[in-house]
Amino acid sequence: MKRTGSIVAAMLAGALLATPALAQKTVLTVGMQSSDAGVLDPHLNSGTPGKALLNWMFNGLVRIKPGELSPEFIEPDLAESWTASADGKEWTFKLRQGVQCHHGYGEFTSADAVYSLNRAATKESSAFSSDYGAFDKVEAPDKYTVKITLKQAIPSLLGIVMNYHGGNMVCKKAAEELGKDGFAKKPVGTGPFMFSEYVPQQYAKLVANPNYFRAKPKLTEILYRFIPSDSSRDLAFQSGELDMMLGRQEQAWVDRMNALPGVKVVAMGPAEMSVLHLNMSQPPLDNLKVRQAIAHAIDRNAIWQFRGKNISRPAVSVVPSGYLGTDEKAALLPFDLAKSKALLAEAGFPNGVTIKTINTTLPSMLSFTEATQALLKRAGITLEIQPVEHATFHQQIRQDLSQVVHFQAARFPVADVYLSQFFHSRAIVKTPTAVTNFSHCKVADAEIDAARSETDKAKQLALWKTAQEKIIKEVCAIPVNEMMQLWAYKDSLDLGYELKASLNLGPPVLETTRFTK
Amino acid sequence: MGAFLVKRLGFAVVTLWAVLSLVFVVVRIVPGDPAQVILGDQADATAIAAMRTRLGLDAPVIEQYWTFLSGALRGDWGVSLVTGRPVIQEILAVLPWTIELTLVSMAIGVAIGVPLGVWAAINRNHMPDYVTRIASLLGLSFPPFVSAIILLIVFAIVLRWFPVISAGSGSPSAWFQAMALPALNLGLIMAAYITRVARSAMLEVLQEDYVRSARAKGVPWRVVVWKHALRNALIPVITIVGLYLGILIGNSVLTEIVFNRPGLGKLIIGALNQRDYTMLQGMMVIYTLIVVLVNIATDLTYAVVDPRVKLS
Repeated sequence: MKRTGSIVAAMLAGALLATPALAQKTVLTVGMQSSDAGVLDPHLNSGTPGKALLNWMFNGLVRIKPGELSPEFIEPDLAESWTASADGKEWTFKLRQGVQCHHGYGEFTSADAVYSLNRAATKESSAFSSDYGAFDKVEAPDKYTVKITLKQAIPSLLGIVMNYHGGNMVCKKAAEELGKDGFAKKPVGTGPFMFSEYVPQQYAKLVANPNYFRAKPKLTEILYRFIPSDSSRDLAFQSGELDMMLGRQEQAWVDRMNALPGVKVVAMGPAEMSVLHLNMSQPPLDNLKVRQAIAHAIDRNAIWQFRGKNISRPAVSVVPSGYLGTDEKAALLPFDLAKSKALLAEAGFPNGVTIKTINTTLPSMLSFTEATQALLKRAGITLEIQPVEHATFHQQIRQDLSQVVHFQAARFPVADVYLSQFFHSRAIVKTPTAVTNFSHCKVADAEIDAARSETDKAKQLALWKTAQEKIIKEVCAIPVNEMMQLWAYKDSLDLGYELKASLNLGPPVLETTRFTK
Repeated sequence: MGAFLVKRLGFAVVTLWAVLSLVFVVVRIVPGDPAQVILGDQADATAIAAMRTRLGLDAPVIEQYWTFLSGALRGDWGVSLVTGRPVIQEILAVLPWTIELTLVSMAIGVAIGVPLGVWAAINRNHMPDYVTRIASLLGLSFPPFVSAIILLIVFAIVLRWFPVISAGSGSPSAWFQAMALPALNLGLIMAAYITRVARSAMLEVLQEDYVRSARAKGVPWRVVVWKHALRNALIPVITIVGLYLGILIGNSVLTEIVFNRPGLGKLIIGALNQRDYTMLQGMMVIYTLIVVLVNIATDLTYAVVDPRVKLS
């Protein structure tokens, strides 16, 4: 009897000891603010919900070190090493050997890389084809070598062959066999997690790739749940049904989440910079003094306080902080109410001016514009806000219908992208090559163009600095502040790296990511 | 009966065509460019133009209308502009979820509303009547998304009886877990409507001569109420159930979003935000079809409940 008792006790003790190992979670449940992830083809999906998900399935030739943002942290991914010719027009990548495509589609070789890049550069199969406009040809001299020849040097070739947008490497055999529509339903890459199931409006399920070239992932599954309602996502996280979720860009949300036990809140990059673009083609904004008066009336620190100290920061230049080429100490016009009023009077508007803006109804963007409106009022500048639904806003500002455009965006972190899209004359709205130059700015075309093909790094940085100085002096736009991406996750989740930023807007989930309990 | 059905179905076809055409026009008048939404805010004008061509949005409107209408006649609703998947497939994947939710919440509404309404009527100007009237007024005043959040906080967060998000497929208990709160949320609103209608209909019927004669003849009160009066009082209740089915489907939009339940509601919000024209068109057909069919079903039910009603 005594013996039986001790056996039972030993079994119980064993069971108790074994419990932590058995209870260890290996399924990560993520909540996303969306009702769908969109088309699951990495070369076609440009939405936030899809980007984060695809990032867990695909690799690039190179990648930015997980958790970082700046291109200075570029490291090997599917390519082990690379070299560039002196003029920056020829790039050769040596691929890792033995990398396996998901679902048994065989080894990833240079043929797959060539196929992927050509696919990303083709309008019909890619939403990012314009990024590859400088490509002349992509070749595979041997099974593990990829050679890219450019028509002209570009500021960041590595930026467009990394695991982001068109740089995601797909497996040729799978893409051809499944066809465009089939591939979008069953994406095949080489990343740590493989596509398993997609239930519309509910979730996408990924499973661990046991053959992942870095190591077998510690998590077995990722359940990516689509939860468009902010309140429901918060409640599901609070009840423990989600391990990680996208937050709302509000200080109150951060404070509420921080008050929950066992929760980690991260304000990560890339920050979206709020910029007021002033339409210089229309009076009274065609008058430099009026533009300067507006700039002097905006108190960046006040807006920073308003938007939340932990989730935003004041802008430093017309290019967001931390980008390659940002002038971190740019001479932005300081807040000076008296000077603002004086400039208005000098410009012939002693009684103030009235300007109009079409603004999205997205709450965080609208509240920013309303705060700006209050600041401008003190200088005698009346900002009339016309709120419209988000998609309408995007269409109308591109039709050049707004005198002031509040645009909030993050871009690939190289100065060239922001400068080219927002401040080059080619990008002026309503032109055939339009992108998002709402101010009709054209003062820095020469520097932006020259920097694009400048291979001397120091000269390139100097050109970008001059471009920023010119744009600021002309007051084409007023950069105000930067809003971070907010994520909350259980502190028992060890991502395996320090999360400071993620270009794909969702925390990278790696082979090392695991739960500690 | 047959002639009635043919006539009503013919009318339904005309209604469908009118709604389709209206939706076709409206989605094109509303500002916002699907190509822009799909490609994101970094796309340049050339890429947007190419996407518009790919989506067939640069063809003359009349040609787009013809393609759309002839496709619809063949049962081809096109593919979603955003996901590239066939519209009909996407709708059919979530339709059962909405129908299921609507029917269960309607059953809850009827099960609570009819007895409560009758109870209030036979106790007119007494405590049960006051309580019922206040309760139904409360039910009508609560916006469905507010009551949904309250239900979630109470039953999912505080009491932990139900999950906040649930797949709701597989076992009957999973189905129940996923259905309970959303159905209760919509069912209570429905119950509030039905209670009020059942109460006033019952009050009216109770004053009729035949009720008085039945009472005079010594028929027990219980039999008078449940056998004689209720049958007649149900006619306006059926009307209201039919009418409010449309409202219920509308309310299900918010309920589905808050409870994160798949369904037409979630689908239509996504389609609206992304200016997914084809999806919106397909969904409006489904909504119209449901409303038209429910109306026909309501008329047929009248005939069953009230022998005085002739379908002609």
